[in-house]
Amino acid sequence: MESYRRNFRAFLAFFTPSFAWLGLFFFVPLGIIWLYSFGETEGLTKIRLTWTLENYKRLLEPEIISLFWRSVWLSVISTAICIVISYPIAMVIATAKAKWKPWLLLVIILPFWTNLLIRTYALLNILGTRGRLNDLLHWLWSAGDRALSMIGLGDYHLLGERFVPVKFLGEPAGVMIGLVYVYLPFAVLPIYASLERLDRSYLEASLDLGASQWRTFRQILLPLSSGGINTAMVITFIPMLGSFLIPDLLGRGQVDMIANVIERQFKSGNDWPFGSALSLFLLYITFILLALQSFHAMRQRKREEARG
Amino acid sequence: MNKSESPIISVKGVTKRFGSFTALQDISLDIRPGEIFALLGPSGCGKSTLLRIIAGLETATEGTVAIDGQDMTGIPANKRPVNMVFQSYAVFPHMSVADNVAYGLKLERRPAAEIREKVAEALAQVHLSDFAHRKPDQLSGGQRQRVALARALVKRPKVLLLDEPLSALDAKLRDAMRLELVKLQESVGVSFVIVTHDQSEALAMADRIAVLKDGVLRQLDSPAALYKRPVDRFVADFIGSINMFAVTGRRAEGGDAARLETAELGAIAVPAAHLPAAGKGALTLAVRPERVKVGAKAQKEAQGEGGLVSVAGRLGDVAFQGNSSIVEVLLEGGGSLSALVSEAEADHLMQAESGSPITAWWALDDMLILPENATAA
Repeated sequence: MESYRRNFRAFLAFFTPSFAWLGLFFFVPLGIIWLYSFGETEGLTKIRLTWTLENYKRLLEPEIISLFWRSVWLSVISTAICIVISYPIAMVIATAKAKWKPWLLLVIILPFWTNLLIRTYALLNILGTRGRLNDLLHWLWSAGDRALSMIGLGDYHLLGERFVPVKFLGEPAGVMIGLVYVYLPFAVLPIYASLERLDRSYLEASLDLGASQWRTFRQILLPLSSGGINTAMVITFIPMLGSFLIPDLLGRGQVDMIANVIERQFKSGNDWPFGSALSLFLLYITFILLALQSFHAMRQRKREEARG
Repeated sequence: MNKSESPIISVKGVTKRFGSFTALQDISLDIRPGEIFALLGPSGCGKSTLLRIIAGLETATEGTVAIDGQDMTGIPANKRPVNMVFQSYAVFPHMSVADNVAYGLKLERRPAAEIREKVAEALAQVHLSDFAHRKPDQLSGGQRQRVALARALVKRPKVLLLDEPLSALDAKLRDAMRLELVKLQESVGVSFVIVTHDQSEALAMADRIAVLKDGVLRQLDSPAALYKRPVDRFVADFIGSINMFAVTGRRAEGGDAARLETAELGAIAVPAAHLPAAGKGALTLAVRPERVKVGAKAQKEAQGEGGLVSVAGRLGDVAFQGNSSIVEVLLEGGGSLSALVSEAEADHLMQAESGSPITAWWALDDMLILPENATAA
């Protein structure tokens, strides 16, 4: 790689296609979007570049701020749930016998091989008022009600007179379930990688010095796997923040996130300049988060290198 | 040391199986208070597993471990009065040196002032007082090992367990650390149990050594006894260097004596008292290089009543070793043996041409007759 200066032609031959591809289909459209964000709509189809900041000012409108806020908190909570669920999963895989590991990892990766649209439609079937999840809740309710009757409390209807199905679709809960389900593998893998790398004698040393299992987890395991947790947080949070399909299908238009509003600007709203400003703002947030993450990772790596 | 003193660690009939693999087989040994005890053996002999069973990081399939008279069965690692220095040191990278040392004390909920005092004391003991606020990544390997030592000793364990404590250090530091560990043990007074694969390390540091091979305890003795009276071929070969000759035939002589045939030395008559009492497998004749004399002709000097063994050969390489040299004698019956000779003798031998005839001899009393495995039934 370092000799590309000497073999400049070979370098060109190898990299021109990919640079051309990136330039043509990524940087040029991105530049156009950037220009649009300083433009104004004129008539139905024209956009005039006037270098106006109006589109960016509109980002501060209360509706848009509350939209961003909703996107952020939905993503923050879903990320937190993802981490909490994926940590024990990662621990199980990391401590499993060597011959089981590839299979367990396969189970985690398997959903990637199914189209997102199909997986999300499958969730519709599960989360609906007559869906499988409500079937399960109904069954639990019946069992609970019967148990209460058996101990003579049946007349009080402590669990309600009838089973009322829980509404997931069109509610934040449904969207969060979808986000957690789709992005869970992204959280499991980096945490697994950091646990796999961890020298087990740290944990044994902690036990040997008299620490309980819980204390060893909190004071040794958790801090030493913080790198994996940080990566997991970033790579689940960023796509969650920009997710479109899940809030669109599971939110039923009631739980819009940024991407849904962006889509509307480009389609039914026919306000491309404002849609562009929204898109770029999302991009900036992503950049800042990635920069913070790589800064943290760099510090971590330096520490590990010094450790030898 | 008083032999009647009760052992600080008593291992009884410990067997450890991993699936169908037997890592340790019926190990019984006692560790005395205040001694340095080495578990010695080639890699995979089960020595680290035994250490981990004592620490409570591994459970024995059969048998018991008692520490200071108390049965440790079912007692987890965090409740045992022993502490361990890990092979990788396992110094917590996210804590300062002082926090590492204080970790075990904080768990005991001691007052902060007392913890500070003890940490300072422990760090002074391992000469790391100036490094208290450093992070482990700012320390050398040797310094990190000292942190691990201080962290374990500050807990005042009844026994300190060390897993290959010197293997990760470079050669020069290793020699210095050997001495320092012995001094440290003398000053703290608790027993050290050291796992090592390096026989010279065990010989230099330990009061007693247990030699393990394939999960079986082959011999437990003082370093001098192991060297002078190894019970079998494996122990003799593992401890120090030794010339060995496989016995190919055995004939009874008058009384209980026997004539042992070897390819290299021919037939040698040995009295019954020299034959091993226990063990199984083919016999081996063995003699340490420093017991072998070389010269133009065997000389009957001050030897025991047992007589001499002498063998003719040709002069091979002479390897200079400072105050002594190792002389290789190419035997007429095939094979070779080495003899350790003084500087003066080496000078004399060097005058002869390589390949010139030479005789090697030793006292019959200095020759060991070893079974393949003394523990096998």
